[in-house]
Amino acid sequence: MFDKDYLEKIRIEKEKWEEKLKGSKERDVKFVTDSEIPIKRLYTPLDVKGDYLETVNFPGQEPFTRGVYPSMYRGKLWTMRLFSGHGTPEETNLRWKYLYENGETGFSAAVDALTFNGIDPTNPDGAPEVGTSGVPLYCIDSLFALTEDIPIDKISVALVVEPFTSAPVCAMYFNMAKMRGYDIKNLMGTTQNDILTMTVGYIPYKNSPPNHLLRVACDFIEWTVAQKNVPLWHPINFTGYNYREGGIDAIQELGFVFASACSHIDNLIERGWKADDFVGRLAFHLAAHKDFFEEIAKYRAARRIWYKLMKDKYEVKNPKNFGFRFHVQTAGSSLTAQLPMINIVRTAIQGLEANIGGCQSLHTNSYDEAICLPSEQAALVALRTQQVIADETRITNTIDPLAGSYYVEWLTDEVEERVWNYMDKIQKVGSIDKALSTGWLYKEMRDAFHKRRTRLENGEEIMIGINKYKVPYDTVTDVFRTSQKAIDTEVNRINKLKARRNNAKLEKILDKLRVVCEKEENVMPVIMEATKEGATVGEICDIYREIWGIWEPPLAI
Amino acid sequence: MSERKIRVLMSKPGIDGHWRGGIVVSRALRDAGMELIFGGFQNVNQIVEAAIQEDVDVLGLSIHSGAHFAYTKQIIDLLKERGVFENILILVGGVIPAQDFPKLKEIGVANVYGPGSMTSDITEFIKTHVKK
Repeated sequence: MFDKDYLEKIRIEKEKWEEKLKGSKERDVKFVTDSEIPIKRLYTPLDVKGDYLETVNFPGQEPFTRGVYPSMYRGKLWTMRLFSGHGTPEETNLRWKYLYENGETGFSAAVDALTFNGIDPTNPDGAPEVGTSGVPLYCIDSLFALTEDIPIDKISVALVVEPFTSAPVCAMYFNMAKMRGYDIKNLMGTTQNDILTMTVGYIPYKNSPPNHLLRVACDFIEWTVAQKNVPLWHPINFTGYNYREGGIDAIQELGFVFASACSHIDNLIERGWKADDFVGRLAFHLAAHKDFFEEIAKYRAARRIWYKLMKDKYEVKNPKNFGFRFHVQTAGSSLTAQLPMINIVRTAIQGLEANIGGCQSLHTNSYDEAICLPSEQAALVALRTQQVIADETRITNTIDPLAGSYYVEWLTDEVEERVWNYMDKIQKVGSIDKALSTGWLYKEMRDAFHKRRTRLENGEEIMIGINKYKVPYDTVTDVFRTSQKAIDTEVNRINKLKARRNNAKLEKILDKLRVVCEKEENVMPVIMEATKEGATVGEICDIYREIWGIWEPPLAI
Repeated sequence: MSERKIRVLMSKPGIDGHWRGGIVVSRALRDAGMELIFGGFQNVNQIVEAAIQEDVDVLGLSIHSGAHFAYTKQIIDLLKERGVFENILILVGGVIPAQDFPKLKEIGVANVYGPGSMTSDITEFIKTHVKK
């Protein structure tokens, strides 16, 4: 990027400067990023390689380092989307409206453990967890209640469900929208539908084996986008965030995400589609963690890697399909139950990373994140944090403001190179379902868990309130409790639905689903039919279990 | 004469899949020389059955769903019914508000570990409180 002779001059001057440093002591800490990239004391033009037009270029132009759109936040701010759900659909609807009235610009449904795993509330194994960690969405009536009086034709909704339940839950949503008179061809939203979230991010409870999860995830992409039934929908959101929270680093986060994305693209190409038929709607969800500059470099590197993958590996032609569009969530695992107000500071800094890094959408965590689901007050503070960034800091005046920083450009290159190397390592194991079934990914997660624990216990990684300026665990914040009545409400909802529906007709549709599952055909058309007739998520998932079996993940300790 | 190792069953009651805490603590206890049985997801009956069959000294329950009171109470009631409650040290860990600690201890939990707990403290507690 710089003239050769000029660089030589800088090199000579730098040597002189280093002479002056001799004998001066530095603090006894490791100067490394969170992913252990060694960091120099100073970066200069000598560290910036590559040609500006080739490696950085302008926003909205190849290789998209500076952003996916030409105008970025000067054209449109990021979507402020808080991941939210608790108790019952009705209670969650009230919370959504509260946030909307306070300036939220997108919705995101956090579902409970039963919805995640396709378990109906009538099953005693999971009954105590109805509504405790998210909103219960067990049948189509739940979706009506969730979105009542919400203009779903104008505001996008993210449904955070994973491959095992994404088809039934989203089919319920699409049917609800149709019954309300909306054309689902214009419907905007996202389904998380991320195979790794429910396998290594969380562990699955009685889900089917990974090869089937990969296939149903691809069924959903095929039916919504490739076959254009819901063409504006984001049918998948590769959610590095959820496994990053387990302790893997920024390099592994992108490695997991891209390896998984490639396996899905390969599956759809095997079905006869071209990458251009669907890749433009694939979306991503990354973390904003503790290392400020490394995270920003990560977002910039991610855009460049995705562009190269699309162009070189998948020979994508349409320039609209090169863009790496992503949602960000600030790091829940960086927050503490001790001194919870400090979490507001942490979250503000992480939110800033995401915005400087050019995210399309952002969730900021609540200060009570480490203790309970967010209280109304905590959720409002989280939303206001984004609004302060958007309306008060003026960081949105210019696009990609850290470009040209010797450090950030160098770190972007470094992150990119390390991610390519890590992806090679994953590729040697095979497709993403193989990386799961062989246990390889579980070992990577396990190693990350222990590395983090060791670093925290020996003080190499600092958490204020935990291992420095330690305070006893005594939650001083009010604890938000989910409704104890949720279980009764949800059992009643299902009972009412079952009394109303045509069970004979539904049985026939469910038999059709059995055949479709056996033949490994696309499950979406018949699940659209079944959920319209009142099938519950649990009933659909029980058929998956019956035909495809139940998978015990090969956990490593 | 070699001393009998402390036997620990680590279980996840319910269906919530937050698994990091249970694994981290399991590994730490194993590293500290204890014999670790990782039960993973188990319903309350399976947990009690496994605790008896494996003749464990310690039962660790990892709960992040907010339903910690419901599951723990069911398990302790069953252990009492089977007459083994007195022999087993029961520990609960996870996303558990400090306000709930006294209530859990009241029903028979020996100690509770919330977010930010150090594994060395858990190991130490087990070594000094194990019942056999």
